[in-house]
Amino acid sequence: MSRDIVTQVSIVPAIVFLLPMLMGTVMLLIPGAGRQLQRWLSVLTTAVVLGLGAGMVSQVLKGSVLTTWHGELRVDALSALMVILIGGIGLFASLYSVPYLAARITEDVTVCRMRIFHGLLMWFLGTMLWGCVTNNVVMLYVAIEATTLTSGLLVAFYWNRPALEAGYKYLILLTIAITFALFGCVLLYAGAAATNKLAGGDALLISEIRNVVPWIPHRAMAITIAFLLIGFGTKAGIAPFHPWLPDAHAEAPTPVSVLLSGVMIKMALYALARTVSIFYPTWPQVTLFLLVLGTFTMLLGILLALAQDDLKRLLAYSSVSQMGYVLAGIGVGTYLGCYGGLFQLLNHALYKSLLFMCVGAVIYATRMRRMGDLGGLRKQMPVTSACFLVGALAIAGFPPLNGFWSKLSIYLALAQAGMWWAAVIAILTSIFTIVVMLRAGYRVFWGEPHFNGTSTAAVREVPILMWLPMVVLASLCALLGIWPQGVYPLLDRAARVLATLGQ
Amino acid sequence: MNPAALHTGLIETLSLTLVITSVAAVEMRRLKFSIVAYSCQALLIVALLLSFAAVNKALYWWAATALVTKAILTPWFLFRSIRGLDDRELKPVIGFVPSAVIAALLMMVFFRLTHGPGAFLAPTEMGQLDVFRTNLAVASTVFALGLYAVLTRRDAVKAVIGLCLLENGVHLSLVSLAPGLSETALFGVATEVVVTVFLLLYVVGGVRREFGSTDTFRLRELRW
Repeated sequence: MSRDIVTQVSIVPAIVFLLPMLMGTVMLLIPGAGRQLQRWLSVLTTAVVLGLGAGMVSQVLKGSVLTTWHGELRVDALSALMVILIGGIGLFASLYSVPYLAARITEDVTVCRMRIFHGLLMWFLGTMLWGCVTNNVVMLYVAIEATTLTSGLLVAFYWNRPALEAGYKYLILLTIAITFALFGCVLLYAGAAATNKLAGGDALLISEIRNVVPWIPHRAMAITIAFLLIGFGTKAGIAPFHPWLPDAHAEAPTPVSVLLSGVMIKMALYALARTVSIFYPTWPQVTLFLLVLGTFTMLLGILLALAQDDLKRLLAYSSVSQMGYVLAGIGVGTYLGCYGGLFQLLNHALYKSLLFMCVGAVIYATRMRRMGDLGGLRKQMPVTSACFLVGALAIAGFPPLNGFWSKLSIYLALAQAGMWWAAVIAILTSIFTIVVMLRAGYRVFWGEPHFNGTSTAAVREVPILMWLPMVVLASLCALLGIWPQGVYPLLDRAARVLATLGQ
Repeated sequence: MNPAALHTGLIETLSLTLVITSVAAVEMRRLKFSIVAYSCQALLIVALLLSFAAVNKALYWWAATALVTKAILTPWFLFRSIRGLDDRELKPVIGFVPSAVIAALLMMVFFRLTHGPGAFLAPTEMGQLDVFRTNLAVASTVFALGLYAVLTRRDAVKAVIGLCLLENGVHLSLVSLAPGLSETALFGVATEVVVTVFLLLYVVGGVRREFGSTDTFRLRELRW
């Protein structure tokens, strides 16, 4: 934060989250009017959000911070990164959902709930964006709980036994967790207000709380951090609070899985980083705790992924593992660690969305998702198999793909901080990731075709609206691998927001 | 703000009754009575907020929102979800006597924590005043009882009631911890709980249709 920062009043941060909410409301109020219209409206809305996000990024790169409503909303580099990520993945997911859900309508009883799908999707995106632009610590809680509520029905969308079970667990576990976060947020506010050092600033605004942290009593600080960690950590899928995640990710419709895994858990981690990183300078011990939690999460996630036969559950557990990397990176608290963590966050959003879309394509084409039932799809689905391979190599950290650079930054940051044990665990996890992902890819796309019942001849490549987002995401993974300096300016500024522990 | 204007005796009585209603809401075997106990608790919270409002005008707003969301809408949703059904709760994991002992222990621990010299739950100066300390102890007890109910009760509807208690605990603590909270924030926090309860009961309704009961122990198809 050493550079000059110009605060600029702008209405864009408000528009970026109010627009999807408004469009969602419109879609929910005129249901059934035109399913086709709803689909294209949601694509259009996400495209506009992406455009606004790009505009914010260019503003932020010029060194300004956008604020609205007397600092209630505040967009710095970190928020801008999240907004453009949500806009981008949201656009791909809504494009993908057009053919994906159209196929489910004809065969399922989901027709009556189909009307509300896109409206809820827009609300879901809107609430996530709200959480990323708000500067008010209580509103941060409100926004994150709102993402749970708007996505709850999307998780249980198919309304069959597994979906209902996943939806119930999702709603109840996350609501309890987020109530802890509310307690944490309120304690943070109370602690900041009690210091009497705000000089007229509002104790609800995170940007103001940052300045008074050294005066908050240690004991209050410890309990605040614990509550925030339980609350936001659960939502981010940090072990041991992760059990909701594989159920919800696996049973939700694939476009929703893409959003849950691609951006929602990231957004919760963003909230965690935003609130907990302000304690680093006064209380550096917390970084060690975050690091232990991060390494535990990455190892546990990948070990559980090894045991999976269901492709979507496998990807969900791998998400847990990858979130461990992000937490370990951000948890180190140094500039390099935060840089690596945020780069990993961006990369994981790209390749995990890609992998979920590929698995969704396999489900779309074969109606199966167990590895044991699938095999030899390479011939029938060349695009999907190529995209899956790129995603699998990227998540495993093969050079020259994007995952390599972010993981390398995290290893270096861990080594630099003297945490050799953590670096070793991170590298070990990476090796397991290679095994898990390549084994899955091999069995589904290359192995012997052995279909139970259905003939292979009926399987063919998915429609263009499904493979186009996959190809774009795969290209982005490759592009960021070859040209990682492209995102450097934004990540650099975002990492400086979090890296409060010297450089 | 003048804390002397508070009716300390009234507040203490209300707070203790509040804990009793929480225990009742958790322990009643008939869901109907459990919901009634919950509604009583909601009304007590409204009364408490009104008595605290003597020193903090923003709490009138909070009391009005709590009346609508906690005392009217939430019980209505709960009653609607069990209408026409056998409302005897499924046998819980932990029986009545151990539960009562646990509740009493929780209460003592939280009183100790908030009234001890450390007072780590109340970092503010105002939080050190006697009334506010009692309020915090009661809020934490209600919170812990809610968590206890969610963790140990098999019935999904009971788990939802536990969740409501959990939320009530946190909301009650706002009186002591966050007196300067803006109306929009309060409104957001209160609305969300009602929406949560509504959605959860909607999903529980689906679970009841598909699984034939609301026994959460039977929800174990998704493992590993």
